[in-house]
Amino acid sequence: MGAAGIVLRDVHKAYFKDRLEIPVLAGLNLEIAPGEFAALMGPSGSGKSTLLHLIGGLDTPTRGSVRVGDSQLESMSESALTAWRSRHVGFIFQMYHLVPVLTAAQNVELPLLLFRMASSERKRRVQTALSIVGLGDRTDHRPNQLSGGQEQRVAIARAIVTDPDVLLADEPTGDLDARTSEEILNLLNALNTEFGKTIVMVTHDPRAAGHAGRTLHLDKGVLDREEVNTRRAATASAS
Amino acid sequence: MTLPLYYNWRNLFVRKLTTLLTVAVIAVVVAALIVLLSFGSGMKRSVGGSGHPANLLVLNAGATAESTSLIWPEDARLLVQTPGAAVGPDGQPLVSLEIVVQTDVRRLRDGSSANVAVRGVDDAALAVHDQVRIHGRIFRQGAREAMVGRAAQSLYRGLNIGDRIALGRSRSHEYEIVGVFEAAGSAFESEIWAPRTMIADSYQRRFDSSAVIRLLDPGRIDEAAAYVNGPAVRLKAASEPEYYSQLSDQSQQVVYLVLGLVIIMAAGAVFAVANTMYAAVDGRRREIAMLRTLGFSRVAIVAAFLIEAAMIATMACGLGIAASLPFSGMRRDFLSPVTHSVTGFEIVITPGICLAALVAAILVGIVGAAAPAARAARTPIVRALRRG
Ligand SMILES: Nc1ncnc2c1ncn2[C@@H]1O[C@H](COP(=O)(O)OP(=O)(O)O)[C@@H](O)[C@H]1O
Ligand SMILES: [Mg+2]
Repeated sequence: MGAAGIVLRDVHKAYFKDRLEIPVLAGLNLEIAPGEFAALMGPSGSGKSTLLHLIGGLDTPTRGSVRVGDSQLESMSESALTAWRSRHVGFIFQMYHLVPVLTAAQNVELPLLLFRMASSERKRRVQTALSIVGLGDRTDHRPNQLSGGQEQRVAIARAIVTDPDVLLADEPTGDLDARTSEEILNLLNALNTEFGKTIVMVTHDPRAAGHAGRTLHLDKGVLDREEVNTRRAATASAS
Repeated sequence: MTLPLYYNWRNLFVRKLTTLLTVAVIAVVVAALIVLLSFGSGMKRSVGGSGHPANLLVLNAGATAESTSLIWPEDARLLVQTPGAAVGPDGQPLVSLEIVVQTDVRRLRDGSSANVAVRGVDDAALAVHDQVRIHGRIFRQGAREAMVGRAAQSLYRGLNIGDRIALGRSRSHEYEIVGVFEAAGSAFESEIWAPRTMIADSYQRRFDSSAVIRLLDPGRIDEAAAYVNGPAVRLKAASEPEYYSQLSDQSQQVVYLVLGLVIIMAAGAVFAVANTMYAAVDGRRREIAMLRTLGFSRVAIVAAFLIEAAMIATMACGLGIAASLPFSGMRRDFLSPVTHSVTGFEIVITPGICLAALVAAILVGIVGAAAPAARAARTPIVRALRRG
């Protein structure tokens, strides 16, 4: 599948707590080109995760439009979004969210079970995804037998195994030490440059954001400024 | 589009103790149900299978059972004219007059007392009850001799060939047991048979209890019954199978009573399953949200928890069957509220009963897991994914 672009227009999102409206996003506009690697920064509670969830079809906006690739997400039903997610997005979370009772390979295989596919083909794809993240030799380990960095690699393998257009990462290095973070960021970088995945990554860490081509800043419900990382853009286009 | 079974299976062992306790609770219900059903079917078989379709059983008009029926000799004489009656080797119509009384015996198992039916019969009885097979020998008419049914012999004390049993109003007449008989597993096997004239003498009875008329053609049983029921005789006739199936229905009342108890136990097991599955769902909120994120549908999530409950139920069923197997082949008796005498039966755990238990166990599992599975399906993805 080719990379997909992301376009959000006048997106509002509010939560209701005790019938009190808590506005999170207020008329947000966003455009991310196909194959772009964008970082999303902002204060805690500013709505970064909320925005990522809207792009990934896990939630729907109160108002406004969300287009990812050719899909207009705000008009899709819950079950249509569920099916859409399985084909078009890969999520990477801070806490990895691996299934503890399954091995690395079985965790990675999970999203493929939603496709009509011969089991040999599934096995081949799982092996490919695990070798891309550098864990080809850890396939039979359970999550609790892996380090945090390895767990996140398994989670990334699980996110890419269906070859989605878009990868959405919510503070993927938030729980990792500096060296491991660097490895994970390099991996995301490679997925972007070598495999052309469109990536949106939420992060608190400016160094992490430095791996992206562009950093968007979310504050008070809108993207109030952005900066292009020229150094990264240069390495990306050079490769 | 569902999760793989090994995912469900392994999750059962994340909460080993809870899973095991739930398995145990359902297993108790399964075992109770199996024992009850095999008791019930054993009782039913011991009575319900009795009787020959060409035999017409005659009682007096108000009676519900042989033991409470009385037929006076002048009425009995009219029965030989029953239309369609078969004729015996002596040229006489095959009518077996029978006296049914009871005597107290002790159970081999625990020495407790049981009321066994004693049937006084003539030679005609062996012609109408042609399923009877005798080991040893038959009593001689005119002698205080008796033969005992196989079930009675195996359940009660002092009923072996050569033993003597005291019968009669004041138990003053001793009968020697000279034979043991089989009767194709029917209720007769729980009885003691002796010569009718001797029983009439010992119990000082001038009337019989019942008469059994063998007909040439079971298809003409209505015609024969009409004669017996009609103004000429004014007794009550029913085909033997009909009489015994009605007796066996009455024996099932206690089964229904206990079934009520088992259903209450099953309801308890449903709550145990619900409790276990709620704990599983609440403990796996993040995992459910993640699976939903990957694209697993609500249906797939519901299915996952129902399958886990069904797995627990299936394990429980295996355990319950194993726990109930020692009961298989056991011989017990039950006191009929209609005849006031005991009938022996064998508890047999059949594949059909095990299948019924499996269905019941899985039902308990599925019903118990329904609400937790629905909760799992409604897990708000975004909220469950958040930290803390
Ligand atoms: N389900 C919800 N119900 C109520 N408030 C919510 C809910 N989800 C998020 N919020 C609120 O929305 C705001 C944005 O949350 P979030 O997107 O997680 O921020 P960030 O990821 O930038 O830290 C927060 O104030 C949070 O408390
Ligand atoms: Mg967040």
